[in-house]
Amino acid sequence: MEIGRDDGRTANQLRPLACSRNILNRAHGSASWSQGDTKVLAAVYGPKAGTKKNENPEKACIEVVWKPKTGQIGKPEKEYEVILKRTLKSICLLNINPNTTTSIIIQVVSDDGALLPCAINAACAALVDAAIPLKHLAVAICCCLTESGYVILDPTKVEEQKMKAFAYLVFPNSAISIIPEGSSHMEGELMEHGIITSVTHGVMSVDDYLHCLERGQAASTKMSAFLRRSLQSQAPNDSSRAG
Amino acid sequence: MEDNTPASFVDQLVVPGDVVLDLSKMGNQTIKLGGGLHQDCDAITVTKAGRLRFSKPNKYWVESSQKRYVPCVEDTVLGIVVDSKADNFLVDIKGPALAFLPVLAFEGGTRRNIPKFEAGTLLYVRVVKANTGMNPELSCTDASGKAAEFGPLKDGYMFESSTGLSRMLLSSPTCPVLEALGKKLSFEIAVGLNGRVWVNASSPSTVILVANAIMNSESLSVVQQKIMVDKLLQRIQ
Repeated sequence: MEIGRDDGRTANQLRPLACSRNILNRAHGSASWSQGDTKVLAAVYGPKAGTKKNENPEKACIEVVWKPKTGQIGKPEKEYEVILKRTLKSICLLNINPNTTTSIIIQVVSDDGALLPCAINAACAALVDAAIPLKHLAVAICCCLTESGYVILDPTKVEEQKMKAFAYLVFPNSAISIIPEGSSHMEGELMEHGIITSVTHGVMSVDDYLHCLERGQAASTKMSAFLRRSLQSQAPNDSSRAG
Repeated sequence: MEDNTPASFVDQLVVPGDVVLDLSKMGNQTIKLGGGLHQDCDAITVTKAGRLRFSKPNKYWVESSQKRYVPCVEDTVLGIVVDSKADNFLVDIKGPALAFLPVLAFEGGTRRNIPKFEAGTLLYVRVVKANTGMNPELSCTDASGKAAEFGPLKDGYMFESSTGLSRMLLSSPTCPVLEALGKKLSFEIAVGLNGRVWVNASSPSTVILVANAIMNSESLSVVQQKIMVDKLLQRIQ
């Protein structure tokens, strides 16, 4: 049954996505990601020599700074920083540049719902722009549960405030592979159907959560195709290269 | 949808996470992996976004352009002296770690004639050792011990670019921008593979013109580069 959303989207429809890379001159990698009216700018600096005091010097270290649009930095911003740091740490290959620090700075340009997933997507695109070695890309999506029990994707701020519960889910991107599908089966779960991060708010039943996961997984394949196209369309033009 | 031959991904744009080679299907060949590829048991995955390249007989790598540099042996780079210690100069080459330049790594270098480089001196150097986790080591001589143009670069103007632009400037046959500029102007240029370019000419306006032409030429095709250079040259003559 169709439920009516304020802006006329269906339950599974995402807002228009836009991604642009290499927008900041001085940052080593930068990207801006917008989903509808939510827009986040991410800048990556590094890898630079040296790690912080409590970090393992045999691995690269990642540091995240979150800058809100207005107001002082408080507990919600610190929480976002920790979530982003753990998510990005799991997609980076940390053994390649030991004893270095990569700093990622997130600046919120406008917030209209699904802010953390938008920031994760922007940070991932910025890491690719800075050529930090990654295991795979991360695609983030927000699924929420309405009062009447329907799962909708990518809410606006107004919709988010009316929700019973919501979950931010981060999946690895769908990769093209030379190995045919099915040969990477592990105990019934295909390798690429993993999940990297899940942050939930509110109260939902287990079945609803599994339903959110399914919908999020389906939407993540679409977003991952969009991310691949936008990364490829800005590849350097090498038709003038010789040999 | 994919045919399982390695040639199917060569010369295509790939993103991190793509599996491009399956070693279990390739028999007993030895293959060499360059930058941007990582081995995960039997699968070779991509770690940087770019174009996958293959060169006979057995080399695979991902070509991409970025602002930071990954040190490789036998690369010639432009470094800036940051500090000097008893045995080494500490040189910044835009990589993950500072590089060491031994004080004796000059032609005819002995303990008595150690050069004095202040912080901020620009040097044209060669990378001798580049291992993960260690600081790279540099040298101001070529493999046989001669000076060969390495050393401090005086006067002129240095600007930063991306590694892709540096590779394009150093490609052979000569890059169209440099060819078109060289026909009308006289200047000298040093290109570091770490994304730094140094230009020197007799007048500052020539230096500015050459620097701007090079900076604008990164994303242009051959014909567009020639047109851009012609337009810039028309403005000053």
